[in-house]
Amino acid sequence: MRSLRLELVKLLHQKRTYLGWIGLALVPVIVIVAGALQKPHRPDPGDPPFVTHVGQSGLLVMLAVLYALASFLLPIVAAMGGASSVASEAEVGTLKTWLTRPVSRTGVLFTKWLTAVLYALAGAALVAVVSLVAGVAAFGLHPLVTLSGTTLGPGHALALIALAYLLVAAGAVCSLTIALLLSTLTDSSLTAATIAIAVFTVLTVLNAFSAFDFMKPYTYSAYRLAFVDLFRSPIYWQPIRRALVDYGVTVGALLLAAWAVFGRKDVLT
Amino acid sequence: MLSTHGLTKRFGKILAVDHLDLTVRRGDVFGFLGPNGAGKTTTIRMIFGLIFPTSGYVEVLDHRVPGQRVAALRHLGGFVEVPAFYPTMSARRNLRLLGSAGGHPTEERIAEVLDTVGLLNRADSKVSGYSHGMKQRLGIANALLGRPEVIILDEPTSGLDPQGMKDVRELVRELGAAGTTVLLSSHLLHEVEQVCNRAVIINRGRTVIEGPVATLRPREEAVKVVTDDQQKAKETASALFGERAVSWDEGNLIVRAGDEGVPELVRRLVAQGIAVRAVVPAIEQGLEDFFLELTQSSDVDSGHGERAAARSAAASSSGGPGG
Amino acid sequence: MGTLSREFTKILYQRRTYVGWAGLLAVPLLIVLALDLSSSKPAPGEGPPFFAAIANNGVFVPLAAIGALSFFLFPLVASMAGAFPLAGEAEQGTMKTWMSRPLGRGTILFSKWGVAVLYVVVGMALVGLGGLLAGWLVFGAHPLLTLSGTTIGIAAGLGRIVLANLVILAALLCMVSLALFVSTLTNSSLTAAISAMVVFVVLTILNGFSYFDFMKPYTFTSYNMAFINLFRDPIYWHPIRNALLVYGATVAGLLLVSWLIFRRKDILT
Repeated sequence: MRSLRLELVKLLHQKRTYLGWIGLALVPVIVIVAGALQKPHRPDPGDPPFVTHVGQSGLLVMLAVLYALASFLLPIVAAMGGASSVASEAEVGTLKTWLTRPVSRTGVLFTKWLTAVLYALAGAALVAVVSLVAGVAAFGLHPLVTLSGTTLGPGHALALIALAYLLVAAGAVCSLTIALLLSTLTDSSLTAATIAIAVFTVLTVLNAFSAFDFMKPYTYSAYRLAFVDLFRSPIYWQPIRRALVDYGVTVGALLLAAWAVFGRKDVLT
Repeated sequence: MLSTHGLTKRFGKILAVDHLDLTVRRGDVFGFLGPNGAGKTTTIRMIFGLIFPTSGYVEVLDHRVPGQRVAALRHLGGFVEVPAFYPTMSARRNLRLLGSAGGHPTEERIAEVLDTVGLLNRADSKVSGYSHGMKQRLGIANALLGRPEVIILDEPTSGLDPQGMKDVRELVRELGAAGTTVLLSSHLLHEVEQVCNRAVIINRGRTVIEGPVATLRPREEAVKVVTDDQQKAKETASALFGERAVSWDEGNLIVRAGDEGVPELVRRLVAQGIAVRAVVPAIEQGLEDFFLELTQSSDVDSGHGERAAARSAAASSSGGPGG
Repeated sequence: MGTLSREFTKILYQRRTYVGWAGLLAVPLLIVLALDLSSSKPAPGEGPPFFAAIANNGVFVPLAAIGALSFFLFPLVASMAGAFPLAGEAEQGTMKTWMSRPLGRGTILFSKWGVAVLYVVVGMALVGLGGLLAGWLVFGAHPLLTLSGTTIGIAAGLGRIVLANLVILAALLCMVSLALFVSTLTNSSLTAAISAMVVFVVLTILNGFSYFDFMKPYTFTSYNMAFINLFRDPIYWHPIRNALLVYGATVAGLLLVSWLIFRRKDILT
């Protein structure tokens, strides 16, 4: 699609695009350095899964990093991407210039969304690759022990890890789409991003309370750690399936709302 | 080519555009004139489909806006307010990017339009370093890029130096001569006079007067009188033409004397022993007075505007130059 | 002083100001709601700090709220508050207008820092007072049970809660100063706030690894839970003193660098 290529050009010309990717790529580097230099100690119950054993295999680095991505990092970066898509053009003033061209508003919105999704996917892929390469270089490539106790060969494990990254990225797309909707409602990209991030955080907190269990199956944040189920033997597909359905519905509804707003909005900036 | 039908836009309690009906014919260089805040930019935003009319619609070559916005935009070029571009990219990149959205610009065409507006030597530096005037010119280049049939320019000479303004006006004249239809918005009557063939004056969102540009000038020319005794000269002129025909404008004595009145005025001044240094046509002040009168009165809704409009209508019916 | 009040007036006219405050206020209210509706109250010691105690004593609500918020949402809002006054002004184009006034650059910078601080203070006050009111209404106000097992009167308890707020405020000042510092380097408020958050997240991750313990005493993120020590009997002042020292040094350092950059910066927007 030509319009997608054009939006990608715009994206790649912004400094903040690279800042986000660099920020993400730093995480595996930190984890590896810390893991390499860490003195062995007994695992704390407060430690996130995989962290203490990070030094044993490059694959575990990928998983530890993924945990961080899923819990907060990728939703933040994705929200930033989603918020910039419309609002930063309004801030710079180029939105009116762009919309003077014979391009449909629907096309513009959808292409911007897709661009932001590609941005988030690229970020996740970048982190995966850096974790893999540096992790294997530092700690070697060994079979992975699943949560059920069985062992997976490195190839098989890698495939599952790739799926896990995709799943987490899909969850982040929900935050991204919220930010996109917000950026059609406000001209400030920071406000849009902050609210999207806050929504994710608050939902995460609410998920912990039994009083809000009634909403739990419907909130995308509740599925953020669903990727863990890929590492059981046999794989628990059901929670993953439910996660994908929830993500699909959430993103679909939000996109529809964003389309309705953007299609009828007076562009005054 | 382009017309608006009952175009209205309300922002909350403010009625920015009030049932505006415009018609721009093929080949017109159409002046869209009015004081700041008259609703010109709002109207242009509606033509581009950037904002949605409260009622009424715009029609561009049989395509309605908003309904068939994208189709209409294929025939339109131009900009609204200060043209904004992607600051981290060069002018050339910007044009390539914008042109590709719904068009197929070639490198030659990009270079051609950049040359036309005089930006070729700065074409590859980042737009963030551009002056206001350069951005203005880039906006014009962007408007020309796809060779659209209708070009809309929102105050294209604002912020330009005198040479720049001359260049833009010349460019607009050339476009008109080549058959492109141009809608030029401005708050400078003399600019519209120089460049356009038809014009509309709007105020507070409503049409005040529309017609060939020649009819927009008051038939009675004003003159600037410079003597060694301005006070006495003023009294003499007032006695001859009435208080209302004489005014001070920025230290100059302006008299609306009309063709026949000037020789008589000079005779009387000389008869009183006043040394007359200059009696020159005060085109600018005359036009500005006329413009002010038209627009102020359409605020107050008194007889002035009608009188002024009647004066120019009388002028056109008696066969003004150009017609 | 006059400059500061002018800055404050400016933010009072922005919608985003109220959005942020409303969001913060929602948190203690949601907590009260969640615990009130919850069929099973958490056992003492379970869950985030002070949550379990709320069921018996509403005075703990403000504490629980700021404790929960200080992990992520407060730093996020503080970054936003720090990024807007300077970068947001540049985005709106009013920067050059404001700077043509006869004001020293130092004055301008500090008043912008000041207004960000005020914003956070008001936000915290809303959380504290709103939480206290809601907690009192639902759970009643009783003398507080300290972490050491003793009981202190309500007045003394409230006094310590105010102190806790001040300690957390000092921590948030670091985020505000960080965001302000980045916004002297960039014209995008989104970039400034996100950069500050990335630094925060990275430092927090580093704090989790024992290898980086050497840095721990100097990074402001490691003192997150210092305020708990106010609720021991007697109060452990030591960790709190350390925390305040680090906060003070961080804020002073960041403000100094920001001032040095801002005084010589070309204002092109």
